Amino acid sequence: MHKDPSYYIQGVMDSNRLMLARTITLVESILSTHQEIAKHVINELLPHTGKAVRLGITGVPGAGKSTFIESFGTMLTGLGHRVAVLAIDPSSTRSGGSILGDKTRMEKLAVNDLAFIRPSPSGGSLGGVARKTRETMLVCEAAGFDVIIVETVGVGQSETTVASMVDFFLVLQISGAGDELQGIKKGVLEVADAIVVNKADGDNVNRAKLAKKQYETALHLVTPSSPNWSVPVMTCSALEQRGLMEVWETIMSHKEIMTASGELEKKRQDQAMSWMWFLVNEGLERWFYQHPEIQKLLPGIKHDVEVGKIAPTRAADDLVSILGKDLLL
Amino acid sequence: MATGYEQWFEMASKQMKGKTPDSLNWKSPEGITVKPLYCEDDIKGLPTVGTFPGMAPYTRGPMATMYAGRPWTIRQYAGFSTAKASNEFYRKNLAAGQKGLSVAFSLSTHRGYDSDNPRVSGDIGKAGVAIDSIEDMKILFDGIPLDKMSVSMTMNGAVIPILAMWIATAEEQGVKQEQLEGTIQNDILKEYLTRNTYIYPPEPSMRIVSDIMAYASKNMPKYNTISISGYHIMEAGADSVLQTAFTLADGVEYVRAAIRSGMDIDTFAPRLSFFFGIGMNFFMEIAMLRAARFLWHRLMQQFNPKNAKSSMLRTHCQTSGWSLTEQDPYNNVIRTTLEAMSAVLGGTQSLHTNSFDEAVCLPTELSARIARNTQIIIQEESQVCKVADPLGGSYYIEYLTNQIVEGAQKIIDEIEELGGMAKAIASGMPKLRIEESAARRQARIDQGKDVIVGVNKYRLADEKMDFDILEVPDSVRLEQIDRINDTKKNRDSAKCQACLEAVTKAAAGDGNLLEVAIAAAKARATVGEISDAMEKVFGRFVATTQCVSGAYSSEYSEASSDAAQVIEGLRKRTADFLSKTGRRPRILVTKMGQDGHDRGIKVVASSYADLGFDVDISPMFQTPEEAAKMAIENDVHIVGASSLAAGHKTLVPELIGKLKDKGAGEIMVVAGGVIPPNDYQFLYDAGCKGIFGPGTPITESAGKVMDMLEAQYCK
Repeated sequence: MHKDPSYYIQGVMDSNRLMLARTITLVESILSTHQEIAKHVINELLPHTGKAVRLGITGVPGAGKSTFIESFGTMLTGLGHRVAVLAIDPSSTRSGGSILGDKTRMEKLAVNDLAFIRPSPSGGSLGGVARKTRETMLVCEAAGFDVIIVETVGVGQSETTVASMVDFFLVLQISGAGDELQGIKKGVLEVADAIVVNKADGDNVNRAKLAKKQYETALHLVTPSSPNWSVPVMTCSALEQRGLMEVWETIMSHKEIMTASGELEKKRQDQAMSWMWFLVNEGLERWFYQHPEIQKLLPGIKHDVEVGKIAPTRAADDLVSILGKDLLL
Repeated sequence: MATGYEQWFEMASKQMKGKTPDSLNWKSPEGITVKPLYCEDDIKGLPTVGTFPGMAPYTRGPMATMYAGRPWTIRQYAGFSTAKASNEFYRKNLAAGQKGLSVAFSLSTHRGYDSDNPRVSGDIGKAGVAIDSIEDMKILFDGIPLDKMSVSMTMNGAVIPILAMWIATAEEQGVKQEQLEGTIQNDILKEYLTRNTYIYPPEPSMRIVSDIMAYASKNMPKYNTISISGYHIMEAGADSVLQTAFTLADGVEYVRAAIRSGMDIDTFAPRLSFFFGIGMNFFMEIAMLRAARFLWHRLMQQFNPKNAKSSMLRTHCQTSGWSLTEQDPYNNVIRTTLEAMSAVLGGTQSLHTNSFDEAVCLPTELSARIARNTQIIIQEESQVCKVADPLGGSYYIEYLTNQIVEGAQKIIDEIEELGGMAKAIASGMPKLRIEESAARRQARIDQGKDVIVGVNKYRLADEKMDFDILEVPDSVRLEQIDRINDTKKNRDSAKCQACLEAVTKAAAGDGNLLEVAIAAAKARATVGEISDAMEKVFGRFVATTQCVSGAYSSEYSEASSDAAQVIEGLRKRTADFLSKTGRRPRILVTKMGQDGHDRGIKVVASSYADLGFDVDISPMFQTPEEAAKMAIENDVHIVGASSLAAGHKTLVPELIGKLKDKGAGEIMVVAGGVIPPNDYQFLYDAGCKGIFGPGTPITESAGKVMDMLEAQYCK
């Protein structure tokens, strides 16, 4: 790993694919020495970011996310866009390893010179995903990509994390037998900017239409996040490449409306702010857990709480006061 | 008074010093508990017992007298890189007593590419003969009368142009279509499951299958229009129960497709043939063939056939290529002999025995002769042909037969619930089951639980290759390209164009694809052109790669602490690598070229992830340039290139070159798969950092990869 930030900055600004890839590796590194360099790099690149369309895509396994991105991304490159795809794959909790197979389903986009696809292992923590992906997105923007797609598996809390870093959050669904809504969490509906029912092809077309109606009904129960945008439900077939242009037009009109109303700028500001607070919290937590005194006392206090020797409130006070008496309310 | 069994139990327990014989029970890979002794009680009331050969449900064989009447057909599958070389080889074999012909095609041909297509520069003539136009086909069958010779062709993807060219060749020889005898594999479903030599998506591919069945039932009554293949499913790692279940479920799906296209069951079902793979589990393989016949008869009853032959399973068998080893390769002659015995005792109708050098390269004349003689010796010297189903009534065999019937039926029921095999394949279920079975087997081998002599036991300290290896020179490709150019120059291009347009039109509409393709073949259209004409309507299929995780290491969790410690040791090394360098070791596993056998990379991907690697998998059929791009974008430490079909000498050096050109020379490249040891130095000289031949335990290759990575990144 190079020590000089300008090595990375120059490479990214030159849109050098190899350097872009290495800069992402730097950003993803867990070593604090690398993170120091990465902070510097991101700071320098920041003025060159912000112009891209930031798009988040989630969906249950089997919803056809990769196929959707393959067709959708290929269509966008046909329109002259430069598309970066950041795919987050789950790491095994047991071995820590992961299988990054996204590109096997993005065969055409993977060899397209206007596209850049980077699968990343989720690693241990959600905070890790959030930090890495957010910064990787910025690096790709600085390298000249004007559409950034962040793909995540719709399990756990990763959707809300991704929704909090993009302009437009698209939830991909498929129709199935029985209760269509089982597969979708209420929290996901709340952050969705559009719901797209994929695989509306073959003998599935009617079921997809039915699913569309059911989602529309369900959305009535959710408070819209903007008075200027009602969340549309659409159908498409990534396989047969139908309905994709409509999805893109929806994203564009969302951008226009949100830009005109000033909400897009506000959204990005809020995202930056909540990101700062997230990092502050993370820093505080780290400070707490790495404090030698706390590390020493924690096991004993935990035991005392478990056996009911001291009350949880008292225990918390004792622990926090180690960091400084004045922290207590 | 104690029963005979109780007395035996007591005696056995005494001999075992207090342990009971139950402690000798063995759990087979299929999950069948095998006891040390079987008796009459074990087979009481079983439905396969007490039946006769030639009579429903055919458990004991489709013919009444079996080999006592006529032995199985010795049918050796072979194809050399050029039509001319193959033709000479066939003629020699026919003179040496072989009865039927079986053609292996080049990987490029399988995928519908002409030899001048830049995507396939490393694949021409690999794994078989390259056919670009009817001119090649005519050379292939020069001097071989197609009205007398039954020809079997292993073709699935480019089945329309190849079958069309064969029929057209026969007609140009003066042979009528109705005289043609033979079999075309034409089993596209299993391509999506394992072998990946498809071209189009499943739906149009199933239509192609029906078109061929319909055409042949009208014009080629003696021709077998499909060979429903379990072989590749087994080679991909399936156990006997999985092989039986998935193969028969494929068969049912084809039957339904044919009925949907308006055919009557009895017009095509008697021409359905099967193709099973036979592995090393001697008795299990015998039982599998018996079980498959029983189950097929049962499954076919739902279609109410009137003709008894419609529910009779006839099969070709091939000994397992996967069971062959690169190490101490003469052992393979013995393995093949045992497997051939299983196929024969199971009652196969025809058989291919592998050549001992197939784990390393394409067969030579010597190895092909030994393989053929293996069958001739069984047939003519061992006297096993004298009795039909000689193991019928054996307590153990009958018990196993029923266990496989029950296990396979359960899986078939599951598939039916998913809506049939096409839907099941779309759901990914069969593929994941096969891969899980493969990963478990790899783990058992790596621990020495499954013994492979010369590989994980009794390994030679110092091995030298002392036999010749057949290599495919690049001149093969150049000759093919010359012939394409000649053909294109001399043909009536307006007529050819019109024929190709007719193919596209038939693809879009209702015409019979084989019929229009025969006209195109006669007009000298190439395989690539006919394939493209259909692709315009059908599109090309892109596989969904799924990968199991956890299967490899879970075999270890039951293992002795030593083996489990190896796994833990490797996990610790990958974790240490993370804390030292900031990320886990990241490897791209790729399969370049047109060879679609992806068992190797799947097993590696799944088990390396279990060891704590981040593993990228590339799409199938990549060029070295595309693989290099992916390695760079994903910024991997190392690329593992798998090669099973002799493409390594062009593809691996090209990959290394592309990485260097793009400024990523520090990304290491290792190679694995079927690579002759004589080529190792060539690859090392080209910059390859490690070579892992067949049979290398995952733990060993992963350890060596970690050695290299630590040396470079943890200084």
